Amino acid sequence: MSADTAAPAALTADAAVVGAGPAGLAAALELARAGLDVLLLDEQAEPGGQYYRRPGPEVLDAVGDHRPEGGRLVARVRAAGVRVLSGHTVWGVDDDRRTLLAASPGGAAVRVRARWVVAATGAYERSVPFPGWQLPGVVTPGLAQHMSAEGVRLGRRAVVAGSGPFLLPVACALLERGVRVVAVAEAGRPYTPGPASLGALRFPARLAELASYAARLARHGVRVHQDTVVARAHGADRVEAVTLTRFSDPERVVARHGVDLLCVGYGFRPQADLPRLLGCAVDRDPATGDTVPRLTPTGRSSVPHVYVVGEAAGAAGAPTALARGRAAALDILASSGRAPDRGERRRLAVHLASLAGFTRLTAALYPAPAELVPALARRLPGPTLVCRCECVTADAVRAAAAAEGGSDVPAVKGGTRAGMGLCQARECGPALEALRAGGPGTGTVPARVPLRPLPLAAVLELADTPGEDV
Amino acid sequence: MNAYDAVIVGAGVLGAATALELAEAGLSVLVLERGAPNREGSGTTAGNLHIQAVHTRRPGQAVPLDSEALLPAQKAADGLWALAEERLDADLEVRRNGGFMVAETAEQRRELRTKHVWERRAGLRTELLDGDAARDALPLLGPTVTAATWCPHDGYANPLKAAPAYLAAARRLGARVEAFTPVTGLERRGPAWRVRTPRGRHDTPVVVNTAGPWISDVSALAGVDMRMSPVAIQMHVTVRERPVLHHLVQHIGEGMSVKQVTAGNLLLGGGWPARRMDLDGRSSAGVAGLTGNVAQAVRILPFLARLRLLRMWAGPLAATPDEMPVIGPVPGREGLYVAGGTYAFTFAPLWGETLARMIRGERPRIDVSAFAPDRLTAPAGDADPAAPAHTEKGTAPC
Repeated sequence: MSADTAAPAALTADAAVVGAGPAGLAAALELARAGLDVLLLDEQAEPGGQYYRRPGPEVLDAVGDHRPEGGRLVARVRAAGVRVLSGHTVWGVDDDRRTLLAASPGGAAVRVRARWVVAATGAYERSVPFPGWQLPGVVTPGLAQHMSAEGVRLGRRAVVAGSGPFLLPVACALLERGVRVVAVAEAGRPYTPGPASLGALRFPARLAELASYAARLARHGVRVHQDTVVARAHGADRVEAVTLTRFSDPERVVARHGVDLLCVGYGFRPQADLPRLLGCAVDRDPATGDTVPRLTPTGRSSVPHVYVVGEAAGAAGAPTALARGRAAALDILASSGRAPDRGERRRLAVHLASLAGFTRLTAALYPAPAELVPALARRLPGPTLVCRCECVTADAVRAAAAAEGGSDVPAVKGGTRAGMGLCQARECGPALEALRAGGPGTGTVPARVPLRPLPLAAVLELADTPGEDV
Repeated sequence: MNAYDAVIVGAGVLGAATALELAEAGLSVLVLERGAPNREGSGTTAGNLHIQAVHTRRPGQAVPLDSEALLPAQKAADGLWALAEERLDADLEVRRNGGFMVAETAEQRRELRTKHVWERRAGLRTELLDGDAARDALPLLGPTVTAATWCPHDGYANPLKAAPAYLAAARRLGARVEAFTPVTGLERRGPAWRVRTPRGRHDTPVVVNTAGPWISDVSALAGVDMRMSPVAIQMHVTVRERPVLHHLVQHIGEGMSVKQVTAGNLLLGGGWPARRMDLDGRSSAGVAGLTGNVAQAVRILPFLARLRLLRMWAGPLAATPDEMPVIGPVPGREGLYVAGGTYAFTFAPLWGETLARMIRGERPRIDVSAFAPDRLTAPAGDADPAAPAHTEKGTAPC
């Protein structure tokens, strides 16, 4: 990697792609193949993002590569001449709202100026607090999947809970590592045949994929509870048990399992902080409650030189991310005078529309986060920690949100310190937004520089690097 | 239609402190706030308690302030902050552990000596130290520090807690707070003011304008041209660190303040101009202010270089053309009072008390006639031509 990471302090390119997951890789490849000078920045040590997360050499030896197609895509991206800057965290945007600010693995400051910016910054896992979620042994499904893929056995007995199709492959990944998965708890009722699930017949391949996970779980005797959520994780120093209750009837206990591993997540939400810093207009997605950039079908934001692709444009899965990355690239090529094949753009548009159909179907099968998260937040017992970084309870947040005359999310943050800790509301943001009673003022957590905690030494270096070399 | 003895416009720390004083005196009080309480200047400030004489210019500030003239007010504010937590029955994270004002150049050392004389004259206990003595007292200071004054009274309080605690105490005494309720009209009706809002109107003999960056806008509703300018400055904070710095550290020649807040984060400020002021939404902090502030802070306190920046933010404040505070009755508008301007956070308990005494016809604790609003409401032709009505960039940190 060293050839990739030794970077001068100020870089220029035709296009800067931020995030080397499926969408960023696809966009970078398309742009570079058409002759554009492309810079691909990614905070991980290796390109691939979360989906194609590249195993390190020792993991490769021990457990192999669980997504070899990712490795092939990365190889094509490199072969196309894309300059890959791994280990580079894009932490902000300069005062011109055009120049990206990054820190190299060694903490050196890097300024990036490009004619186009493609934000492929991915998604966060959507967490909803519950009593005991701060206990060691409670993790997100995404973390459980990564660790399992790298050969790590996170526990002996696990429950996988939350909502969304992702829970099934995670449960399977744990089984593969020899974890006894006691149960999968799904907040909705997606696996009960009903009018909504009939639509799945239009997507036989995806249906087959889900069916294969379900079959594997059945083979291992994993119980799939529907309409079921985690009410509480029990334990002194780490998780020892979990109580599951009906989502539709919180008083009704479904089961209590002894576990040493609890994976809980409610799908993914776009990581759109960078587009927000770049000045892109955002909207609240009525179905998910997420703050999402306002985009054309090809990913162009309200700031014409900024595109948002992949999960950052709205969580929809890897196939959609790949297609979005390509679509944005073709749009950029068209506007840069390199006329790409019109037929190709049309075929891609049809493909994207078909994928969107599948996303809509999935959304219809599972509970809408915009309703699920507030419902879960409302029933949180008062002493539950909502903000784990700053130890702020649900009661404290509620009291601040109910301030006489009204309150808003920034005021709740200021009044309680919730969301002001190390994670900067990445974990508790959805719950904070949901615990706000509504009414006037800002309902969202603001995007702020730095996007990740940044060594002050890197700030010092920035002061010494040229800002206007373009 | 409701009638109150006093209506306060702005639920920042000044409005909140004034509300408590008036409610305690038995007046019926309404506080109107255009957004959420304590969200603007008062909630975004660094929360310093500036008791020793301050540096006279911050980055980009056009006019130096008269720091000698502020000393009596600083001394009085110190006494009131000492009592604030007990009085409010709240933890405001008040830390009065003292502070250093450092110098690097010969010119700055001269300024330190001058202000040290003023401080002694004002009865404020400060010590003048050379560079080595300063480093003995605070080993975290870097090698470029050649002198410092030490003031045992300097400190800080948590600005996220101060105004809310004042408001809560005022409420306990019957004061009413209406958030998200902008004032849209101020008319004189006989002996009273009629205060209009989208949610109703209120008649009152006394209106207190503590609207911070919106002071001029609110004054204009009453037909008063108050020459103040909103400006936005920014703050920078690191991740939490074990307790290492127990004092406020400032710079005599440059805008800089550094301290470690109770939660453990190191807070860097000094009046650095924000990237953009947005009075309808949130002002945004910029990279220029960040790099400038961090460079000087790391020079003075080199240990900071190994910490990580967690967050930065910007907030607005109200600047006067002469960079001095403003407090008192608005000339020609009976019953209309104003308070704001420089070091509003430090002065909040004092200005709250002062306004309440003025409103009730009592003598303020200290003479504030030098800060009277008439210097800002006089026709512009009478003003000192050297003092521009607008400072474009940063100004005093509160």
